[in-house]
Amino acid sequence: MKKIAIINCGSGNIASLINALKYLDYESVVLDKPEKNYNFSHIIFPGVGSFGNLAENLKKLGFYEYLVENKKRGNFLLGICVGMQLLFKSSDEGKSSLGLNFIDGNLKLFTTDKIKKLPVPHVGFAKVDYKYSKIWKDIPKNPYFYFIHSYRLTKISEKINYATTYYGEKFISYVESENVFGSQFHPEKSHKSGLRFLDNFCNFK
Amino acid sequence: MINKRIIFSLLYSKGHFFLSRNFRLQKIGDLNWLEKNYSFQETCEHIDELTFILVTKNPDEKEINSFFKDIAVIRERIFAPIMIGGSIRSINDVKNCFENGADKILINTEARNKNFINQISEIYGNQAITIMIDYKGDNNNVFTESGTKDINMSVDRLLNEIKVYNFGEIILHSIDKDGTGNGFDFDLINNAVNLPNKPILLMGGAGTPEHIVEALKNDKVSGAITANLLNFIGEGLKITRNLAVENKIEIAKLT
Repeated sequence: MKKIAIINCGSGNIASLINALKYLDYESVVLDKPEKNYNFSHIIFPGVGSFGNLAENLKKLGFYEYLVENKKRGNFLLGICVGMQLLFKSSDEGKSSLGLNFIDGNLKLFTTDKIKKLPVPHVGFAKVDYKYSKIWKDIPKNPYFYFIHSYRLTKISEKINYATTYYGEKFISYVESENVFGSQFHPEKSHKSGLRFLDNFCNFK
Repeated sequence: MINKRIIFSLLYSKGHFFLSRNFRLQKIGDLNWLEKNYSFQETCEHIDELTFILVTKNPDEKEINSFFKDIAVIRERIFAPIMIGGSIRSINDVKNCFENGADKILINTEARNKNFINQISEIYGNQAITIMIDYKGDNNNVFTESGTKDINMSVDRLLNEIKVYNFGEIILHSIDKDGTGNGFDFDLINNAVNLPNKPILLMGGAGTPEHIVEALKNDKVSGAITANLLNFIGEGLKITRNLAVENKIEIAKLT
């Protein structure tokens, strides 16, 4: 059984992710601290909570260097929700804390004026408009994934593959850059499409 | 562009799931019953969220553990967002819920505890907090402690008081409509003046797919919740979802 590492920073629900991996027949190993003695080819980095809080925990627990190191080694990294946000440089939520800066970008709060008085946070299933890459294998066009967030990224370099979602305005709901992947949505809570997405990630070679 | 939500809620106490009528509980069945009579996994493929509410009054540690244990069994095969509530009074209770699979938690009796709400939001984010308001009577009076304590305040006044707190959404739960199967209460949501600019969910009264669709058609409603174990599991939620689509309601395509 292939081992998938899940980084546990303490703030959030990793049980769903563990269940999803188990359902897909992967063994998940939850890391409370960096693992030096085993090289995980796939590392998932889920995150709930605030950007600043998670960034600080990441540093405190030694995961900041661990993720940088694993990116260099070419291992596959997947950030989910705030985990995806941490792949970027910074966020207005927790201004004093910096993200991993694997991809350039700054997260901003949804502004209700701009999104025509829609409620914030954005909660619920929403359509993801993707450009095909291997992570989307066997997933229908414009699938729905579950979102729960208040901050979002609206600008990104055109050179990298990304997907967008519309919530009063278009925002970046998925990114991939070399061996680094990020989803603002929660695949582990997105029924069949979510399971396929995770399965495709875990199958990367 | 904003997708409406259909949410199913399981009411739990001492190893069993319950039906509720005006907050009086009727035992229906346990985990095996849920699986044997309905394929609960298939039922859940048609919902936007699943909610678990512990309805035991003053549950002890053993009861809370059995609640989480049964949730864990259900969650093994269900990949949908999860909300957990019932007797959440301390930050430790909150932590327990998140560690046992909650994406969001329900706060009811402690809704006016500003420090508590803000403390939860600092750790888990405001999107993780759903305030559930139980109300009844002609003046829409708010009741806490599982609907037993009248706090002498209208829903509108409570909404005004809590509008500056850091929470994510609100459930308006009508005790009068609860379990009647006569449809949701729209008087409150249509007339309340202090509704926050956050998702508002209605609960209490759904008896048919048409009732849920009627709620979702209301511009102020983000989602409808039913805890009606008998009318909506099996094919009920699938039928409801299809009916919503026929009625041109913006709703996620999940299968």
